[in-house]
Amino acid sequence: MTTPIIKMQGIQKYFGAVHALRNVNFHLMPGEILGLVGDNSAGKSTLMKVMTGAYQRDGGDVFVDGGLTHFKSPQESRDYGIEMIYQDFALCGNLDIGQNIFLGRWPKKYGVFIDRKRMYREANDVLKRLKVDVNSVFQKVESLSGGRQQSVAIARAISFNPRVVIFDEPTANLSVMATERLLETMAELKRQNVAQVIISHRLTDIFEVGDRVMVLKRGENVGDRYIKHTSEKDILELIVSGTPETALTADEALARAA
Amino acid sequence: MTPHARARMPAELFGGWEVAILIFMGLVYMAGVLINPAFFGSTDALSALLRDTARVGVMAVGMTFVIVNKELDLSVGSILGLVATVFSILYAPSHVNASIGIAVAGALATGLLVGLINGTLVTRLLVPAFIATLTMLFVGRGFVLGLTGGKTIGYDIKAKSDPWFFAIGETNALGFNNQILIFIAVAIIGAIMLGKTRVGYETYAVGGNEQAAGYAGLATRWIRMRAYLLSALCATIAGLMNVAQDKGITSQYGQGAELIVIAAVIVGGASIAGGRGRVIGACLGAALVVLIDKVLREGYPITRIVDVAGIKMEVQAFAQLPGGAVQACLGFLLLAAVLIEPWAIKGGGAARLMARLRKQPVPPKPSAEAAIVGVQTRGAKHDAHGMGAKGLRAFLARRDAAAIMLCVALWLTGFVLRPDFWGSLDNSFNLLLAFTEIALVAVGLTFVIANGDIDLSVGSVLALSGAVAAFLMKEAGADPLTAIGFAMLAGLVCGIVNGALTVRFGLPAFVATLGMFYIARGLGAWLVAGRQLSGFPERFNLIGRNLYEVLTAWGVKIEPGAFMAFAKAINVQTIFLAVVALIAGIALAKTTWGARVYAVGGNERAARYAGIDTKAVRFWSLVFSALCAAAAGVIYVAFFRSFNPSAGALRELDGIAAVIIGGGSIFGGFGTIIGSIAGAAAITLIRSLLSLQIILPDGSSFVMPQHWMNVFIGLILIGAVIGDIWIRQQQIFSRWFETRKAPTGATS
Repeated sequence: MTTPIIKMQGIQKYFGAVHALRNVNFHLMPGEILGLVGDNSAGKSTLMKVMTGAYQRDGGDVFVDGGLTHFKSPQESRDYGIEMIYQDFALCGNLDIGQNIFLGRWPKKYGVFIDRKRMYREANDVLKRLKVDVNSVFQKVESLSGGRQQSVAIARAISFNPRVVIFDEPTANLSVMATERLLETMAELKRQNVAQVIISHRLTDIFEVGDRVMVLKRGENVGDRYIKHTSEKDILELIVSGTPETALTADEALARAA
Repeated sequence: MTPHARARMPAELFGGWEVAILIFMGLVYMAGVLINPAFFGSTDALSALLRDTARVGVMAVGMTFVIVNKELDLSVGSILGLVATVFSILYAPSHVNASIGIAVAGALATGLLVGLINGTLVTRLLVPAFIATLTMLFVGRGFVLGLTGGKTIGYDIKAKSDPWFFAIGETNALGFNNQILIFIAVAIIGAIMLGKTRVGYETYAVGGNEQAAGYAGLATRWIRMRAYLLSALCATIAGLMNVAQDKGITSQYGQGAELIVIAAVIVGGASIAGGRGRVIGACLGAALVVLIDKVLREGYPITRIVDVAGIKMEVQAFAQLPGGAVQACLGFLLLAAVLIEPWAIKGGGAARLMARLRKQPVPPKPSAEAAIVGVQTRGAKHDAHGMGAKGLRAFLARRDAAAIMLCVALWLTGFVLRPDFWGSLDNSFNLLLAFTEIALVAVGLTFVIANGDIDLSVGSVLALSGAVAAFLMKEAGADPLTAIGFAMLAGLVCGIVNGALTVRFGLPAFVATLGMFYIARGLGAWLVAGRQLSGFPERFNLIGRNLYEVLTAWGVKIEPGAFMAFAKAINVQTIFLAVVALIAGIALAKTTWGARVYAVGGNERAARYAGIDTKAVRFWSLVFSALCAAAAGVIYVAFFRSFNPSAGALRELDGIAAVIIGGGSIFGGFGTIIGSIAGAAAITLIRSLLSLQIILPDGSSFVMPQHWMNVFIGLILIGAVIGDIWIRQQQIFSRWFETRKAPTGATS
C-alpha cells in the first residue's frame, strides 16, 4: 500500500469551551477524491482548516507524505502543494482574470514591475489545462457568472501545481449546468493525479465523482466507506445515527461486506 | 447575564456600564474641584454643567438611534447651527420679522429636511453614512455662513413679547434651567422608545444584522431613515434650546458639536460596529464628556510672581488650555472610547475585571478576536463594455474618462465667461498653484481609497505640518531644513497613528481618521496659539517660488529666452508634485505594490488568503497619504509666506472628491493617479470658476459670495459619490438603454 499523501491522527481542536474535533483520524491517497460529509457543525471545515494551517490544532499529528508537519498558515501548506477553494471563491472582483489567478504573486520584471505579458500568457495556459472557456483573461471577475468565477478560483489553485485541492461546498452556489462543468473539471484533475477533498451536503455530487466518503458527527469519526461499496442511503444513516463506537474504516467495512 | 438579572432590569435600559460612568464622573468632578475649587466647588458649576449637558444630551439621544443602526451622523452640529440660523432669520426684527410660530415651524422643517436628505442619501442612494453626513456638515456650515454673512443676529427686545418660548432657556423658580427639563423629557422618551418598544427592537435588529432583519420582514430602509430623522429632530430641539437661551446667534453655533455628541454616545457604551447602545448610557456619556470639556476649559488659578522694576508682585491668573488643545483632547477621548468599547464590552474585559475583583470565577475570553471591520467580499460592479473597444469607445470605457472630459469642459466654460482673462498666463499660473495642494492630497488619498479605506484627516495633517514648520522657524529659530524635517515627521507620526488605529486595532478607517481630524487640527492651532505666523527665512520660501527666482537665488544666471519664460512659469511645488505623482502613478499602475493595493481594496480576505500582507498595504497607504498632506502643508507655508491655523480646511473634501471624480470608488478597489490628478484639476477649476468675476452684458460685474463656497464643494463631492455609485457601478444608464432597446423588456 502506498503512503497517504495526507494523514491526520487523533486531531483535537477546542474553541473556548466547545470541543470541536475529538480524536479525529483522516487520510487521503494520491489522486483520490474524498467526500467529507456530516451535519452542520460536524467539524468538516474545521478539520480542513487544521489541515491547511488556518487553525492550529490542540492535539494530534498531521503527516504530509509521511512527514510530521506544523503549518502556521495556509501559505505554508501551499508550499507542500495543498490548496483550498473557498465557498465564496475569495477573488477580487475589481481585478481581471489574469490578475486574480496570480493574486499576490504577480510575475515580476526588473524586481518591482509586473510582467503583464507573462502573467496573461501563463493564465491562458492554466485555463486551457483546466479545459474551461472564458472569453478573455482581461475580463473583470465581477462581470462573470458564479460558475465562471469558480473556474477562475480553481484555475488559481491549479496554477500552483497542487497535489491536494480542497473544495469547500463547491456546488452550493452553482446552477445545474455549472455543477456539471465543475464535476467534469474534478474528473480532469483526477486524471492529472491531483487528490481532492469535497466538503459538501450534496451526496449526489460526491457519489458521481468520488472514490471514498468520510462521515463526521459532532467532531468525531463515525464512518468511512468506498463509494463503490456503499449507497447514499447508508451514508445518510451514518450522518443521522452513526456513533464513534460503531465506526468502521473503509477497508474494514469492505472486509466485513465481503 | 443570568435570567434572574435579566428579569430585574431590561438590558436595553440600564447596565453595569452606566454605573461605571457614574463612578468615573464622580472622580472627574473631584479632580475638577481639586484643580479649580472656586468654580467646581459652587452649585453654579453643577447647574451650568447640567445646562450645557442638556443640549448635548438631547442630540446624543437621537445619535444613539443612528449609531445603534451601525451608522453615523456627522451633521448634527451643522443642523443645530442651521436651525438656529433659520429661526433667527425668520424671527429677528432685522430680517423677516415673522411670528414665533412661523419661526419654530421653519426651524423644525429645516431640521427635518436635513434629516430627510441624510436618510435619502444613505438608504436610497447608497452613499456611505460618513461621506453623506460629512458633506452635510460642510454644506450646513456653508449655509449658516451664507445666510448670516458671518454676522451675528440678535433679538433681545422682541424676545420679551414671546416669553413662553424663551422661558425654555431661562432658569426657573426651582433654581435650575428649563433646558434640563426638556433634556430629561427627551431622554425618557428616547430610552423607552429604544428599550421598550418595537421601534427600538427594530433598530437593534438592523444594527446587528441588516440582512437578517430584512429577511425577517423589517423595513430596514425606513428604520435607518427614521434614525436620521430622529437625530435631526433632536438636533433641531437642541438648536431651539440654544436660541431660546441666547436670544441670538453667531455663525459659530454648533461648530464641533458632532465630535462631542458622537464621543458621548460611544463613551455611553454604544458600539461603532452597531447593534449595541443605550439611551441612558448616551445621556450619562454626554454629561461625562461635557464635564471633561469643562474641566479642560476652566483652567486652574495660579499665582505668578511678576518682577516690576525690582518690586516683586504676586499676580493672580488663570492657567488655561488654549482652544486647540481642548479640541485635540476631545479627539483623543473619541478614539479612546472607540478603542475601549470592544475590549470592555464585546471582549468581556469589564466582566472579567469585575469577576476578579469579586473573587468569582473569571469568565473565559471570547475566542474570536473582537474585530470591528466586517468581512468585505463586495467589490464594485464593473462593466465589461470596454472589452476589445478601440479609440474613443475605449477612452469612454475608462473610469477616469469623465474627469478628463470634465476638466476640458470646465476650462472651456471659464474661457467663454471671461475670454479676456481666463486663458492668460497669469491665470493659468495661479490655477496651477492652487492645483498643487489639492493634487498632492489627492495623490496620497488615491492609495487609501483604492485600499477601501478613507483618510478624513488630510486637511488637518496639512495644518499641523504647516504649524510645525511655521512654529519651528518663527518661535524656535530653526533653520528651514530642520523645520521641513520636523513638519514631515509630524505628518509621519499622524500617518502611523492612523495606520496603527485602523490596522492594528481594527477601527474603521473613517473613525480613526475622524479622531485625527480633530486631534491634528487642535494640535496645530495649539502650537501657533491660534495666531497667524509669517516672516520666514527667504531660503524656505523658495519652495513656493518659481524656478527662475530659485535659480537666481542660487546664483545661476539665466539668459533671456525660451528657457527663462519656462522657468518663470514653472514653480518648485509644481515640479515636486510632478515627481511625486509620477512615482506614485508608476507604483500604483505598474508594480506589484500597486496590484496589492487594488487586491486589498477589491477583497481584503481574498488578498489575505493569497498571502498578501494586507495590514502592511493598508498601513503604508495611510502613512503615504499623511506624508503627502504634510508636504502640502510645508508648501502652503512657503507659498503664502505665512501660516494660518485654518490652513487646509475642507481639503479632505476636495481630495476625496478629486479621487472619486477621477474614477476611484468609495468602496475601494479602483482609482488611478492620472484620474485623481484630473479630478484635482476639475476641483481647482470649479473653485476658480466659482470665484470668477463675471462681466454681465450691461457692463456690471458679478461675483458669487465666497461664503457659499462650502455649499458648492459639498454638493460636488456628494454628486461625485452618487455618480460613481449609480452610473459606474449600478450602470443605470446602460441598463436604461437596454430596457429601452429590448422590445419585450420588462420595464417597471
